[in-house]
Amino acid sequence: MKVTVKEQFLISPYLAFFIVHSMQIGVGVMGFQRYVATYTEQDSWLTVMMGGAAVHLVIWMMYKMLNKEQGDILSIHETAYGKWIGRLLTILFIIYLIAMGITVLRTFLEVLQVWMFTLMKTWVFTFVYLIAAYHIIAGGFRSVVGVCFLGVVVPFYLNFTFLAPLEFSNVRNLFPILDHSIKDFIVAMKPMTLSYLGFETLLVFYPFFKKPETSQKWFHYGNLFTVVLYFYLMLITLVYYTPDHLRRTIWATISMWKIIRFPFVERFEYIGLATWTIVILPNICLAFWAASRMAKRMFNVTQKKSLIFILVFAMIVSPMFDDRTSIEKLNMMVSQFGFYFNFGYIPLLFFFHYFMSKVRNKA
Amino acid sequence: MNWFKKSSKKEEHTLPQVLEYLKKSGDFLDFQNPQSPTPYWISYFRSLVDAEIIHRDILPYLNKTTIKKIEELKAALPIENVMVTSDLETIRQMMLSGCVLIRLNEKDQQGVLVKAEMNKVREISIPEEEFSVVGPKESFVESITTNLNLIRKRLPVPELEIREFKLGKLSKTRVAVIYISGIANEENINTALQRVGEIEIHQILDSSYVSQLISDNDNSPFPQLIDTERPDRVAGVLSEGSIVILVDGSPHALIGPTTLVKFFSALEDYFLNWQLASVLRILRLIAVSFSILITPIYVAVLNYHYELIPKDLMATLISSRDFVPLPPFLEALVLELTIELLREAGARLPTKVGQTIGIVGGIVIGTASVEAGLTSNVMLIIVALAALASFTTPVYKMSNAIRLIRFPFLVLAELWGMIGISIAFIFLMGHLLRLTSFGRPYLEPIYPPRLEDLKDAFVRLPFKTQPKRPVQLQSQDTVKFSEKAAKEKKDIDE
Repeated sequence: MKVTVKEQFLISPYLAFFIVHSMQIGVGVMGFQRYVATYTEQDSWLTVMMGGAAVHLVIWMMYKMLNKEQGDILSIHETAYGKWIGRLLTILFIIYLIAMGITVLRTFLEVLQVWMFTLMKTWVFTFVYLIAAYHIIAGGFRSVVGVCFLGVVVPFYLNFTFLAPLEFSNVRNLFPILDHSIKDFIVAMKPMTLSYLGFETLLVFYPFFKKPETSQKWFHYGNLFTVVLYFYLMLITLVYYTPDHLRRTIWATISMWKIIRFPFVERFEYIGLATWTIVILPNICLAFWAASRMAKRMFNVTQKKSLIFILVFAMIVSPMFDDRTSIEKLNMMVSQFGFYFNFGYIPLLFFFHYFMSKVRNKA
Repeated sequence: MNWFKKSSKKEEHTLPQVLEYLKKSGDFLDFQNPQSPTPYWISYFRSLVDAEIIHRDILPYLNKTTIKKIEELKAALPIENVMVTSDLETIRQMMLSGCVLIRLNEKDQQGVLVKAEMNKVREISIPEEEFSVVGPKESFVESITTNLNLIRKRLPVPELEIREFKLGKLSKTRVAVIYISGIANEENINTALQRVGEIEIHQILDSSYVSQLISDNDNSPFPQLIDTERPDRVAGVLSEGSIVILVDGSPHALIGPTTLVKFFSALEDYFLNWQLASVLRILRLIAVSFSILITPIYVAVLNYHYELIPKDLMATLISSRDFVPLPPFLEALVLELTIELLREAGARLPTKVGQTIGIVGGIVIGTASVEAGLTSNVMLIIVALAALASFTTPVYKMSNAIRLIRFPFLVLAELWGMIGISIAFIFLMGHLLRLTSFGRPYLEPIYPPRLEDLKDAFVRLPFKTQPKRPVQLQSQDTVKFSEKAAKEKKDIDE
């Protein structure tokens, strides 16, 4: 079932690069190193690359399905399972998207509450942030993509700040190379791929590209860029922290900022975190946009109404997660779901969709 | 209330009645000329008509011969703008725009209209708001005819098209939409013509009326059309494919569609060599970001993030704030408001007084408030620098917008420190992303990213590297000049 979008709302295919990259970089980057290094220690840089390769494969599968369907996840589901089951599964996907947006916002806010403002009220910040998000999403997909683009370009300077720890690092931390079993790598793949999540929104915005097939190349490049960035971060983390130290550091990336020193600025993490407010904006905007878009496609409501509903829901739910354990639980839940969705469900759907479209074509 | 309308209509049945009605104004003249062989009647508004034209070009010719028929009267006059008519509405309109009506008898229904309008215009002077050291020194004046002449002189091509509108129920202002057909995008032209044509207002005093009435989002503090007083700038953008709107009575032309970065390009950038121009442009952009951010950052740092500042620098800041009783936010707010006051007072007062007030106010109030211990001198330096930096914007209306958006930044910085500044930035970013000018994205070439247009945005690369018109304007004819000839390269010693 083809989904058509009016010409003036379409975007150029090369913007796929920025969308996927900005979606993948979120709150995960601040502390993904520890989770991966628990299993593969000094070889974690390889895990980063392996995880990236797995994501490439899933992206390829998604594009195969979408190219055939010229639509979004709803049309894929309807081809694969028929109308009712297809819709039911899509509702699950919507809930996942909403949860993703809430998780990113809440987790970031927790970081802020730990590092900067201990007494900051959750609901006030959430409220202001969501108003900004509403303003942007109401501008349509084009302005959401604009935020994705600027969310990559504006904070780009941060990438250079990670060079500072090299002054105090030791290359010998990386040796011995390849000292882990394949089983270790496979186990470490799971926390790694969690950091790559976010690209599944492709299943919603695919019809918004001009000549959508051509965007695949850029989508892969975008993912590749994320891999390079994670690799770079992981490498610096590994040479800077000793394995023991890393195990005790929750937010390794932020902690690295602490040692940057200019004649006029110290404690760079304050500036880093302030910039990070812009980095997580694409995550939240695109997730809520995608959720409201799917709601519009399914329930025959205007996207404005569904968006307001979702934002109000997010506004009510976020302050309910008020301590470390509940936030951790939320994170685990969402990332588990995302993991099984992307690396378990999508391959299954891929084969199922392949057969069903064959069957339906014959019929 | 119908009878009211009817009674006013009644007067327009015959020409004498119309004249009778016009006579109610003190400056309307209607008399018979007794000296001439033919005793004709002449009537006009004294305040609209150039007496010299009447005495030099009309009366002498009429006094020479006897005239029996109205056609003979027309033939007798050596002026080309002569019209014989009996249409009352035309007669009224034309007389109100400076025509002389000549009749043979007092009760005639027909008359000759001769154009003799008084054209008192200001001399073309040098641009004041957009002054440049290098380059042409002409600027627009209030008369639209002179302004059109200034543009046509620079673009002597038949493709330069001018569409005129008469807008304003009372003011009947001439508004001209100018573009080069074949270069400007059809869609843009139609948008401009449609929006200007649909204007419903009683009076247009200046081009900024039009600008406010046709801009895409009138709730935005950002101007969405550039206004310029330089004919050379207008000629430049016309040849790139922009659309220009001129309004009679206003020395400012409007340019659209435009983008945010274009507001920070001065025309002088094109007169200097490209390296210097690029550096100046970057300097201006840095100045603007500095002007918006520096006070909020100061407030944020002193309120929440004093760890950010190294020990030695912190000592300087602390000692300067030692005796200041106000919190940084109030201190900043008071000083910002003082500067705004000085600026506003300087703008309202006559030039010479304004300058004095600026200097006296700036120096005396500044020094005194530091000495009195009300503000710290670091704060004073920061606020003054920020004000100075905001003046580097070449377009006045943009510098006003920057003046305004500083305050939300300041308030959010007080609330949440650096995070607050980020939040304000997000709002600004979202707003700019959604803004359009004649339906074209305002933030271009940043978003949507267009490499071709980046050559003339933050920097200005040499003319040779820009053989194409900006993508933003979606010009019909994208090629400015042949790329091949420009790029011809020679090997060593050839």
